[in-house]
Amino acid sequence: MMPAARLRAVALPVVAAALVSGVLGVQIAHGGGDFVPARSASPCAHRAVTSVSTGIEGLSEQLVLLGLDGAACRLHVTREALALDLAQSRTPTDAQVNAVRAGLLDAVNRMKAEGKLPPASELTDEALDNSNLNGLVKAAIRALPDSLINSALKTDDVLRRTINDLDLRALLANLDDPDELSRQINAAVTKAVKDALVARLRDLL
Amino acid sequence: MACYVMSGRSIVMVVDTDDPPSKDVRVRRATVPLLALTVGFVLADSAIVTLALPEILRRLGGTVPQVAWVLIAFNLVLALVVVPAAWICAHRDPAPLCATGIAVFAGASAACALAGSMPVLIAARCVQALGGAFALVGCLELLVAATDERRGVARWIAAGVIGTALGPVAGGLLTEAISWQAIFVVQVPVAVLAVPAALSVRSGAVRRGETDRPAVAPNAALALLSAALTAALFLLVLLLVDGWGRSPALAALTVSVVPVAAFAARPVARLARAAPQAETVAGCLLVAGGLTALALLPSAHLAWTIAPQALIGLGLGLTVDRLTVDALRDRSPRVLHGGWTIGARHIGVVLGLAILTPVFTANLRDAQVPAQEAITALVLDARLPAADKIALAQGLSDQLTKEHGRVPDLHPAFARLDLAPPERQVAEQLERDLDSQLERAATQAFHDSFLIAAGLALSALVPMFLLRRRVTT
Repeated sequence: MMPAARLRAVALPVVAAALVSGVLGVQIAHGGGDFVPARSASPCAHRAVTSVSTGIEGLSEQLVLLGLDGAACRLHVTREALALDLAQSRTPTDAQVNAVRAGLLDAVNRMKAEGKLPPASELTDEALDNSNLNGLVKAAIRALPDSLINSALKTDDVLRRTINDLDLRALLANLDDPDELSRQINAAVTKAVKDALVARLRDLL
Repeated sequence: MACYVMSGRSIVMVVDTDDPPSKDVRVRRATVPLLALTVGFVLADSAIVTLALPEILRRLGGTVPQVAWVLIAFNLVLALVVVPAAWICAHRDPAPLCATGIAVFAGASAACALAGSMPVLIAARCVQALGGAFALVGCLELLVAATDERRGVARWIAAGVIGTALGPVAGGLLTEAISWQAIFVVQVPVAVLAVPAALSVRSGAVRRGETDRPAVAPNAALALLSAALTAALFLLVLLLVDGWGRSPALAALTVSVVPVAAFAARPVARLARAAPQAETVAGCLLVAGGLTALALLPSAHLAWTIAPQALIGLGLGLTVDRLTVDALRDRSPRVLHGGWTIGARHIGVVLGLAILTPVFTANLRDAQVPAQEAITALVLDARLPAADKIALAQGLSDQLTKEHGRVPDLHPAFARLDLAPPERQVAEQLERDLDSQLERAATQAFHDSFLIAAGLALSALVPMFLLRRRVTT
């Protein structure tokens, strides 16, 4: 083949290959091939959890997020997979219920260790607003000094009692009913506060 | 008086030249564009309904596999019928056969527009392909008869390439601007005008001598390339409309890069003065490279699809007409070999749909889990009050359930939220982030299909190299 003919035979394919390489090079340099959904983080790794909510709602949110991580880590699934499974399934398994409870208890321990649990007196007003106690009792409790409330009630103790008392199976089955969720949680918190006070009185006596 | 235009060794076209030259020129001026337009319309029909499929599904009901048959039926029937149609045209006067084919095509197009149910539409599409097959091969003979061998074949090929490339664009624009029925309605008047145009060309086909074997290598390469181009013409518009949620009109404008680049391919080839085989090799590399680039998109910004589409369009322009010329060269009867090229291309389209559709539908299904998990993570970690997160999660769950199996529109879940202005800004950012995750999942779902299509484009080189080796030995 003559050199000119050979050049004619290869010039266009070479130009085509160069064009293709150029386009692919630019795309890969800009993240081509990595445009995929974000991967879930390991639930066993430490995750910084914050909340824009304040008071009991903010505390509950942080506990639930940390508790989900702990439960997912125990079940060897991602936090997101567990959340979706719990949201979509009406009947959580025993393993899921036990893992969620253990995860929530771990979350209380972690928040206590990190000094993120507020003293009970900071939550008293909001808790009383949500409770169905009679007005006189509420006024009496509000009149108590913070130091007395904080010595009588430890936030971590109340939370552990609440978590242990909660019927998690019923709670997880009612995730799409916020009113029923609030009712169950308030009932569990009220019972936990009473139990904590009784236990404290027993200790004093 | 008749003059004979030699075509290869066996077909003699008889062109009536009794009329004065001026009238002949006038007839030719009107006839040639109409016949070329008919070729373009018939081949555009292969992909023209792609962007209209979701609208057709909404209007006519039925299932997703049924609506896919609106596309498959036309290509399959055309692939099966076009060679027998070409054989008949080789043994009979092609003008009345072509005119009848165009009339059937026009009638079936009207029936498509009037179809009130999916089975009727699919049946009308089959009839459309039947008429289209006769119209296509008849037009090849009539274009040659109305001009000459070189110009007639060149116009037939060019009209086919342009029609194929413009099909999705035209379909998308018509669906968005008017309705899906408009796709079929606009074809009727052109086809009606083309019937007398076809009859005005006096030609008679007389079979002389033996029939050459079909050109295996270029036809096989055409089939493989057409299978690969299916990804560009069908899957890309699906990605844009269903995956990224763009409107059919915007998707149509975006994919217009392919026909524009295909137009530019011929001047580029002339400028390069490349050998025919070099053009085909370069074209296959460009199509394969463009499809690989579509598999590696860095984001869902439409601008990123332009360069890959330009590569595909250039490749389409360089390969399809060159391979068609190779398949027709020195083979007779020309019309039969024209039929083989159309058959090969549409078998390729059906093959492409058969290979790629299950892959991308399975990948789309598999992409749901990572997409849902990514969305869940963003909602859990969103800087919104807990009560709003719970309400949003409920709304998103409802949307996912409502649009099961499709990429969901998440906006209704956000629209229902009652938020303060600062939280509204956070929610708007969250909505953008969630949409981005959906786009990522959809793009990933098409990744394998585009890569397989790129492999099909490269495999088109194999028959050409095998043929070259045989010729050399």
